[in-house]
Amino acid sequence: MNKLLEYIENSCKNLADNQSSYRYKKMILDKMTERADEISRAGLRDEKVLTELIADEFCDLEAGYAEHEKKKRRKKLLKIGLPVGSLVFLTLILISFFVVSSTTGAWNKTWLVIVGGVFALVIFWFSLAIAKLCTMRRVFHPIARVLIAGCALLFAVFMFLFFLMMMPELLVWPILPAGVIIALLADLIFAFATKQKLRTISLFVYMPTISTMLYIILSAYKIVTWTAGWPIILLGLVADVAYIIYIIISNMKYFTYKQEVEE
Amino acid sequence: MKRRLEAELWDKMHYLFRDFNDRMVHVELNYDFVPDIEALKTVIICAFEKVPVLHSKFVDNKLWTHWEVMPYNIDDVFTVSYPDDVEKAVDEFLTQYIAPTEAIQMKVALFIKDNKSTLCMVENHMCMDGGDLKYFLQEFCENYSRYVTEGISPVNFRTGSRAYDDVYSGFSKTEAGVARRLFKNINARDDHKFPLTSDNIRDKSFIARKQFSEETLEKLKSKGKELGATINELLLASYFYSVYELAGYPESDTVMISNAIDLRRHMESVDNKGFTNHTSWMQCAIPERGKDIFETVKYVIASSNKFKKDKFMGLYGLPLLNFGYNFLPHGVSEEIIKIGYSNPLMAMSNIGILNGQHFALCGKEPTDAFMSGAVKYKPFVLLTATTYKKVITLSMCVRGNEEDKHIVNKFFDLMEKNIDTIIA
Repeated sequence: MNKLLEYIENSCKNLADNQSSYRYKKMILDKMTERADEISRAGLRDEKVLTELIADEFCDLEAGYAEHEKKKRRKKLLKIGLPVGSLVFLTLILISFFVVSSTTGAWNKTWLVIVGGVFALVIFWFSLAIAKLCTMRRVFHPIARVLIAGCALLFAVFMFLFFLMMMPELLVWPILPAGVIIALLADLIFAFATKQKLRTISLFVYMPTISTMLYIILSAYKIVTWTAGWPIILLGLVADVAYIIYIIISNMKYFTYKQEVEE
Repeated sequence: MKRRLEAELWDKMHYLFRDFNDRMVHVELNYDFVPDIEALKTVIICAFEKVPVLHSKFVDNKLWTHWEVMPYNIDDVFTVSYPDDVEKAVDEFLTQYIAPTEAIQMKVALFIKDNKSTLCMVENHMCMDGGDLKYFLQEFCENYSRYVTEGISPVNFRTGSRAYDDVYSGFSKTEAGVARRLFKNINARDDHKFPLTSDNIRDKSFIARKQFSEETLEKLKSKGKELGATINELLLASYFYSVYELAGYPESDTVMISNAIDLRRHMESVDNKGFTNHTSWMQCAIPERGKDIFETVKYVIASSNKFKKDKFMGLYGLPLLNFGYNFLPHGVSEEIIKIGYSNPLMAMSNIGILNGQHFALCGKEPTDAFMSGAVKYKPFVLLTATTYKKVITLSMCVRGNEEDKHIVNKFFDLMEKNIDTIIA
């Protein structure tokens, strides 16, 4: 125990002597003591070896302190800032709703302020969750992908409701398939950026889906006719084939590689 | 909180081998003195703490297989005894089985008699192969020596990645790209079996050994130079010829023996890498027995030359295994891999030279050293070769009966006869 204390004190001698560094040192001491108990229970009797073995696991304590403080500040911010900030934000949204509604008298439209505010808040929470999930094991990444798609769809729904206030229904509904396109593209970007498993399969499935949505949108806005525009759907398949050709070409050098044979 | 370690590709592959062998790797080091028992305990604990997979249980939940680090006590790992019959005690210790679900994956024993000692180790092949076990033993002995003589804490054990794809680290970017696309499954099936008896519930594991003198090794070396063959190729040729004689295969039959290859040859360096498996098979086939052993040698040289010229020797099929294990839940991928995988019926593993200095405790080298691979389940066999102080030891670990023991010993006699013919 004394040797562990000595190690911590020597390793943290450049740290300011304050409550925060004390708590950090105490936390490290607790962790080291726990490990020391574990290893002692395994049967290690030599205290010097025990200390060095544990010190090896807890190296560079000063750098660890900086990281710990950063994490602590973030955690504190999230713990207090998130609920308080969310509450303040919702209150502001509610005030804005009443101010805008009472000044314009358009009570049948201003409810969108509340919907927009709530959606924005949910998207913000989802973003925090996505950032956290990205730091976790890959098994949790599919949840992040679902949340990303959720953010895109919430955004699309809000845009749909917003334009619905100003335009006829027939012109607005294609925003929803556009939302699906945004969700799929966002998921693809995430999958390729984080090198997710089966990302190529996702791409092959998404391309025809995206082209189908594009066909629906363009036809809805009469840019192409419903009867003549269907080849747009094939564009997705063409994109798939083009991607396969790209994969083959970019991998060709590996398959045609000739070994230099040393006799 | 539970501490978990990723189950790497080779961990899963060796787990799959549970149908073919007991996955234990064996070490025996004989010293003409008794080491400091307390110091040994200290070094073992440090080794276990630095290599946590050694005190972890393998969790196969069919979905995400992993290692779970477990508490342990040195008394469960290390035993010291003073038997009257050391040979029997060593044999009993070495033929034990450690289940992957146990909390510890390595056991160590020290047998003491007449001021001499035998240090034995048994470890799960899923944790590391013979190649890394040699490195581990070297670090173990170095740590022990420094601790006892200089009081330096025995904490210098290699740690780091255990990933299978470290084997590509020595390649250029293009070469690594090629190697990562070697999806071809080169598992060739051969139905020729080593002539052991049928399985029986009363079968017990045994390790049969045969030693060849320094003089034999020297003669093999010079004969190898003359024939353009390595010692390994001469041993393999002798293995082929002996098994033809023992099993009575028709002389015109094509027979295949798989040869273990250490994939570390492809790596830039093993420093900063964790202890793991990096071993693959090279299938050595001969078209017929040959009219004499020298013709067999020629066939073996021709077969192994084909592999030696290949820059990617041993790396075929690894990307396919990785693909299988990576994209499907473990329970499913294992079943699929089982369909495509054919375990060699006859194999050979040349662990190579055991350097006495590497296993010296406080400067005192072992008088004898021996390592061997897993105990194979019939009809599979593995011939292991190690060389210590210029003495070649051939061993075969089999789960069988007295008759099987007799067959294996007869095989060793045939090996001796054929080696004698080569060097005559």
